[in-house]
Amino acid sequence: MGLRIVLIDTDGERARALEAQLTDSGFAEVLHVMDGPDIVQTIDRLKPDLIIVDMALPDRDVLDDIRVVSGAQPVVMFAGGNDPAFAEEAIAAGVCSYNLSGVALADVKPILASAIALFKRYHHVETELAAAKALLDERRLLERAKALLMRDRKMSEPEAYRWLQRKAMNENRKLAQVVADFVSQQEKGLKP
Amino acid sequence: MTQPRPQTPKLRIGLLRLTDSAPVIVAEEFGYFADEGIDAELSVEPSWANIADKLTYGFLDAAVIVPPLAFAVSLGLRGAAEPLVVPHVVSLGGNTITLTPELTGKVRAAAARDNLIMPQAFAAVLRDEKPEGLSLGTVHTYSTHNLLLRYWLAAGGLDPDRDVRLSVVPPSLAVEALRSGKISGFCAGAPWGNMAERAGVGAPIASSKDIWRNAPEKVFAVRARWMDDHPDALIGAQRALLRAAQFCDAPENASYTGALLSRKKYLNVDSHAVISSLPGGSVSLDSGSYFYRHATNFPWRSQAVWFLEQMKRWNLVAADTDAAAVAAQIYRPDLFRAAAASLGLPAPRADSKSEGTHNAEWKTESADGTITMGPDTLCDGARFGA
Repeated sequence: MGLRIVLIDTDGERARALEAQLTDSGFAEVLHVMDGPDIVQTIDRLKPDLIIVDMALPDRDVLDDIRVVSGAQPVVMFAGGNDPAFAEEAIAAGVCSYNLSGVALADVKPILASAIALFKRYHHVETELAAAKALLDERRLLERAKALLMRDRKMSEPEAYRWLQRKAMNENRKLAQVVADFVSQQEKGLKP
Repeated sequence: MTQPRPQTPKLRIGLLRLTDSAPVIVAEEFGYFADEGIDAELSVEPSWANIADKLTYGFLDAAVIVPPLAFAVSLGLRGAAEPLVVPHVVSLGGNTITLTPELTGKVRAAAARDNLIMPQAFAAVLRDEKPEGLSLGTVHTYSTHNLLLRYWLAAGGLDPDRDVRLSVVPPSLAVEALRSGKISGFCAGAPWGNMAERAGVGAPIASSKDIWRNAPEKVFAVRARWMDDHPDALIGAQRALLRAAQFCDAPENASYTGALLSRKKYLNVDSHAVISSLPGGSVSLDSGSYFYRHATNFPWRSQAVWFLEQMKRWNLVAADTDAAAVAAQIYRPDLFRAAAASLGLPAPRADSKSEGTHNAEWKTESADGTITMGPDTLCDGARFGA
């Protein structure tokens, strides 16, 4: 028989992927994928064995309080204390779990491990996206800075690039910072 | 070429989107931590649960936290235990009990008509109009908000576990919950009461000072392990916080601090809602937070005991918990005095005081003079440690 799991995640794609993974594995029945204001009522109605929640949601404070509503004796999963490394891994991945019916840690571990792996992978993709976006922004600003120098000071493109490089070296700062400051000063109408 | 830098200890500080995060944000933005050779990293977290878990498992070194949660983490009440110390109190006051405008109007009218204190008037309105009870939100089970709201309800003769339905509603969701009728009121820190008022769905009925005057609110808690590894840096961090506390407490700095906090990376709300509970910006006198005056930052052990006794009262901690021993372990006035002395600032000589016995300004002894203290009376007139 499968454990009854409530999954609380605003990222629909990730939630669906985890739901599919857990359902396929045969040891879990995913009851609900949701977020929003009625968590307490939903959990009271569904009486899950386990809740897996995205740590980015403020709803975690509601879950901390849930024993009052459910009347059950829920255990914060990591309260077991017998596996702090596992808890650390889960928190680092951004996932937390609440064990409501006192199912043994060993039974829940593979399920939570799936969630951890999935959250990690998504986090990794997000970090890569942010890095790629930052790189694009830097390139765009560099092009803009060069264009300004070429227009206002009649420099060639290589001259403009060397001018910025030299400025960065003289000021002992990163090229990207110098470029960003230069463009924002120019756009405010100030001279460097 | 630059010299290799001396080792700068990293201090990861967790905070929530609350007005009383101000001194930590100011200390970071003004470079006060850097002045002390500390590489501070602020982490704005979405929930108290995150703050508690990240402190427990070492993803944060310190946090601006509500005292009951600092005790819960230290005692392992909601997860594995991780010892914390509190060398510095960040703020006094700043919480508001907000009800629907209709309910607030009725309670105020009843108080004026029958000459009742506000919690009694609330109880009377509840009995007349909502004998089945109503829902009130607080921010976390182990929060000052929960304890203050329960104290206020009990002062009116209500049993918070029977006569009303208390539930946890994150403050950022409280305005919507009030609008939709899911709750009839909530107790939360600034700026959230004011946000509800601005949205036209709430009206204040009591603030911290109407429950416990100059009530301690947020504290700066550090993992005991970090303190053991960096004893000098901890004093440095406290100095940075004391400098920032003086800035935030000065009325002339309210608009500056409000604008800083309202930034997207911090509170991400209208700066007017922030300013309204800063010293100098308060809409009504004495309703906001204090950050320095009246020895705000001194960790009185008597106040730790007060919180622990209230936690016992509502079954949030074991009844046989030795409150004085826990308070002595976690609250560290000795560390406060060390930091204050190194800045030439005064600190109280006593570790504890009586709570609820001063109904006007009074003086407490420092090493070479006196410090003016604020009143500390409670809404039901109770006295503690007197």
